[in-house]
Amino acid sequence: MTVQTTQRRGGGYLERPAPSGLADVLEIILDKGIVIDIYLRVSLVGIELLTIDARIVIASVDTYLRFAEATNRLDLYEHGGKDLTEVVGDLQESGAAKKVGGAVKGVKKAIKGGSDDDDRSSSRSRSSRRRQTEDA
Amino acid sequence: MPEAHERAPETGYYVYGVVPAPGGSPLPLQGIDQADVEYVAYEEVAAAVSVIALDRPPGRRAELMAHNSVVDALANATTVLPVKFGSIMADRDSVIHDLLAPSHDRFADLLANLAGCRQFNLRATYVQDQVLAEVVQSNPEIAELRRRTRELPEGTMHPDLVRLGELVSRVLEDKRDDDARTILDTIRPFALDEARRQGGGVDHLLDLAVLVEDERIAEFEDGLEQLAEALHERVRLRLVGPVAPYEFAGAG
Repeated sequence: MTVQTTQRRGGGYLERPAPSGLADVLEIILDKGIVIDIYLRVSLVGIELLTIDARIVIASVDTYLRFAEATNRLDLYEHGGKDLTEVVGDLQESGAAKKVGGAVKGVKKAIKGGSDDDDRSSSRSRSSRRRQTEDA
Repeated sequence: MPEAHERAPETGYYVYGVVPAPGGSPLPLQGIDQADVEYVAYEEVAAAVSVIALDRPPGRRAELMAHNSVVDALANATTVLPVKFGSIMADRDSVIHDLLAPSHDRFADLLANLAGCRQFNLRATYVQDQVLAEVVQSNPEIAELRRRTRELPEGTMHPDLVRLGELVSRVLEDKRDDDARTILDTIRPFALDEARRQGGGVDHLLDLAVLVEDERIAEFEDGLEQLAEALHERVRLRLVGPVAPYEFAGAG
């Protein structure tokens, strides 16, 4: 293994997980690489392992609702949450907020059949607050 | 040597990747089912293969991991064009005549181009609450819609909610463009090539495969570390690699 997980220069803000779990490996190799003409293949190992549904979701009501819910879950004032101005701090505004963008693109992946345990990536990141990315 | 008309029906050749034809002693590796990896050479290129039993349950984690570890080991030792997971050919003849010979020149060119380079996968995600707070503050209509829709029960499909989500996603998209540019500006001096990948999710910023020359990897990592520190309040950077050049092996 030559993954340089131990070498940390600077403050270690850059997360350097070792891609050891099934999810990481799937992400690296799935549907990538040279494709041998399907008619020349005798069989395909592992196709049942993965049902991947990678389609581009053009801006839809569902997608918008997802954004709305995330925004509404924000805890800016209540329950001792930070004040908005405090949260935003001195961040510069982009000034581009008026530009109308195109379609929102997203990829939904449904990885099924991963019944094995130990599927989690063993992130050795220092950032303990990082939550699992479920939607990515 | 299998006879042309007497192929053992129960085994095939699992193909891991295409490498330059080994000059000296080939790398000893074990692949799926602990089978020894063999090299089937044709002129300047060779396929790394192992014999595999065809009568088997559907693919499993162990097979995926074995495929990955063989390709990783090849990438560490030489240049490799990964072959798509799950590719099995009938026999040696088929590997030569159906895979290596027809694409020999293309494989040789790709291998020459990728020599001395490694792929890294970079994922940038937003610190979601932080960036959504920016979004709410930057746009009065969003703030107002949020105030009006907050008390709606979850799962409601109110027109105001749809409008809110639409506005938020547009503002986020502009932010993404700006922030992606910042990240790309940092990466491009080190990157030979890049492939942008689709990402989903509210916190998605950028998903990128980058091809970096071996001797520039340290600089590349240092540059990203500095960037990660500068952006850490609102962006997380995650770097995986070096891995084999899956994104640059010519998917066709």
